[in-house]
Amino acid sequence: MRRFQIAPGVHLSYDAAQKFNRCRISIHFAFPARRETATAHALLPLVMERGYADCPDMTQMTKKLARLYGADLTVDARPMGCSHNLCVSITGIKDQFALEGEKLTQEYAALALGTAFHPYFVGSTFDPEAVGIEKQMLKKALEDEVNDKRLYCQRQANREFFGDSPAGVRQEGYLEEVDGLTPEALTEAYYEMLRTANIELIVLGCDEASTTAVKDALLAELSAIDRAPLPRAENIAMPRREPVRKVEHFDTTQAKLCMLFTLGRPMQPEQLAAVRLAMALYGGSVTSRLFLNVRERDHLCYYCSSSFQSFTGSMAVNSGVEHADAARAEQAVLKELADLCDGPITDEELEDCRRGLLAGMNGLEDTLGGIETWYYMEVLRGGPVQTPDDARRALLAVTREDVRDILKQFTLSVSCLLTREEGNGNG
Amino acid sequence: MAENTQSVLERTAADQWKVLPSGLTVLVRPMPGYSGTHVIYATRFGSIDRDFRLGEREVHLPAGVAHFLEHKMFEDEDGDAFAKFAKTGANANAFTAFDRTCYLFTATEQLDESLDVLLGMVGHPYFTEQTIAKEQGIIGQEIKMYDDSPDWRLITGLCECLYHSHPIRSDIAGTVESIAEITPEMLYDCCKAFYAPGNMVLAAAGNTSMEQILAACARHGLMDERPAEKVERLLRPEPMTLAAAEKTIAMPIAKSCFGLGFKEEPLPFGDLRSEMLYELILCCICGGMSPLYRRLYDEGLTNPGFGGEVLRVDGCCCILFTGESDQPDTVRQLLLDEIERVRKEGVDREIFTLCKNEKYGQLIENLENVEDSASQMADFALAGQTVAQQITMLAGLTAEDADAALQHILRPERMAVMYIEPDGTAVEDEAEEETEE
Repeated sequence: MRRFQIAPGVHLSYDAAQKFNRCRISIHFAFPARRETATAHALLPLVMERGYADCPDMTQMTKKLARLYGADLTVDARPMGCSHNLCVSITGIKDQFALEGEKLTQEYAALALGTAFHPYFVGSTFDPEAVGIEKQMLKKALEDEVNDKRLYCQRQANREFFGDSPAGVRQEGYLEEVDGLTPEALTEAYYEMLRTANIELIVLGCDEASTTAVKDALLAELSAIDRAPLPRAENIAMPRREPVRKVEHFDTTQAKLCMLFTLGRPMQPEQLAAVRLAMALYGGSVTSRLFLNVRERDHLCYYCSSSFQSFTGSMAVNSGVEHADAARAEQAVLKELADLCDGPITDEELEDCRRGLLAGMNGLEDTLGGIETWYYMEVLRGGPVQTPDDARRALLAVTREDVRDILKQFTLSVSCLLTREEGNGNG
Repeated sequence: MAENTQSVLERTAADQWKVLPSGLTVLVRPMPGYSGTHVIYATRFGSIDRDFRLGEREVHLPAGVAHFLEHKMFEDEDGDAFAKFAKTGANANAFTAFDRTCYLFTATEQLDESLDVLLGMVGHPYFTEQTIAKEQGIIGQEIKMYDDSPDWRLITGLCECLYHSHPIRSDIAGTVESIAEITPEMLYDCCKAFYAPGNMVLAAAGNTSMEQILAACARHGLMDERPAEKVERLLRPEPMTLAAAEKTIAMPIAKSCFGLGFKEEPLPFGDLRSEMLYELILCCICGGMSPLYRRLYDEGLTNPGFGGEVLRVDGCCCILFTGESDQPDTVRQLLLDEIERVRKEGVDREIFTLCKNEKYGQLIENLENVEDSASQMADFALAGQTVAQQITMLAGLTAEDADAALQHILRPERMAVMYIEPDGTAVEDEAEEETEE
């Protein structure tokens, strides 16, 4: 992958990636999340994905993509710590597979840029009818959050953990604000994004001429905008606190437990290799302590895994447990962490985890998604962009003590449990 | 199609196929430039294979044995296969479906060693009363996890409505009670019957070659002839009537979910053409380009994920529609009206062609990464087909074929409805909070 700045706050990353059958063009907009505009920015991708100025109708848009052999146009928004990230992407088969010799790549570029920079407006705002329909969709999605208990548990824990900090802005939107959103407010949020976002254009699987054409077209679009990119949101860490235990009651068959830990200070890029190995050892792999001991040996849960978020210096442990075993499972999760901090770590388990991570990094560039995710996460984290090979070398140098040093920094802040009310149910 | 496109396509979709003297089918797709290799070892043995004759004996299994066996296959006298994969760095997993069990890994290094672990663990099953008892706890937890999934409950509930006796009525993982009946003898019988090489497929895609895969097979005796036990699957006759027309359950969810199931005539083994045709018909009736989808979407009658799917296994074929809605009966009526309209007027020619286009793109996409590529090869091989045959078959399907098929599928008299209502507990209330002193 090669990466260049092509304008202030705008970068191009590209890789010809010839081995793939498809190509992908994506335009990432990253900007600091704000409480005031969170719901508008949650609605924005839904409205943008329906169509754009040259193809405003949702059904016609779907047909257009089907004509391009089912090309996948997506507008999605993802929270990245204190940043909000909106991505317009299109992925489709390469020209060489077109049955009628169509110039597919050109059409992909036009669709991605059109969707990002020429939304369908009625007068000077987004189409009120489309906004009205998508508001209902956003409301449904927010109301349905509770149907997926694992996700709901994680989100409730996050809400408690981050509180009013910038990382606590609900980037999925606030249900009570959806009805009040107007096309004008949405349009304002859109223009704010165009003006202030750091933009990353990622072109994968296209030849040099096509890549240059996409880059030039993007720069032409940006030349019409009074751009003032904001600095990238810094990585944070929540301060340590006395653990809070939160319980909600649902009549489910299995209880869900989410425990959130803080590193206490923002993660530094040079710590990342040790964090990766620490996660694999604690709960991020099938050779981890949580998997082998809490799940396999103690049978306390079907899943029990840890994951780390570098933007917020936070670690989550998620598990599905028997209602009656929830307290025991929480103690077991804490004990495994304490054992790694203070007890023996064998060469065998350390090397098994390292080997698994190294092998995974080896295969990262075997998928378009793997390449894009790796490099874009590197960009968002700040610091120098590491290649998978750089990361492998760093991982090889991590020692047992490095792992311990990282794990010792984690302290429990929030434990969120979804369980039955006592005396309800049969098991 | 341009000649150049044809040759690119043939090269991309080509896979190497061999049937070994042991009966094992081996498929390999070398993918230059890729670091990893994905390998799948699959048997035509899934949760529906509950009753069979092995030699002169009849064997009857409780629900959930195939899935239980999948878990136990990772363990032998020397310990856990995951621990062995950890020595090679391979990322291993397995899954059980209604009609198959698949063991798989992705490796970027030590491929030979990883192949040895995979072929060794599946080739040398080891079960005892103690190891079985140990697994019951973990699988019990897995069963409970799925019990809380409304999407999965819709599928299993619809199957219970549509079928009187077909084993698709039972959950893939069984129940806590059914897995308590499992014995080592049952598991060994299943291995003899269904883990014979002649019933299996080994598919590999990525940084490998047929020579490398065959060498691994040779190390595990798969190049030698194997005597095969005589196995006959026993399926009780299943009438085309419904077991129940409607079912309602309550769960802790915020919004109602619903499903509509249509019972269809079972398809013969290897008939992937009808399955693909049914999928195209569903795309025309309620896919993203259809007028029905647009109406449901604009009027907020369902969630964006509403859609139909074909579920077909030995002795069973059904079409299921699932989604979320506050007005499931309105959606049901709109769907039935649309089916009748399309049955009468024929499928929209433009939409049918575009649905074919999408399918073609999907087949090409699935050849792109090592996981999808090996999975697609194994899936088609289990039905005796290749990816290239699928592409040719797709090209040959016409709107007239769809019109003809529609005269006998999606009949309202063979439709069942399943509702999942909120039980009232999934409403926001004040959570209890406690701060540790």
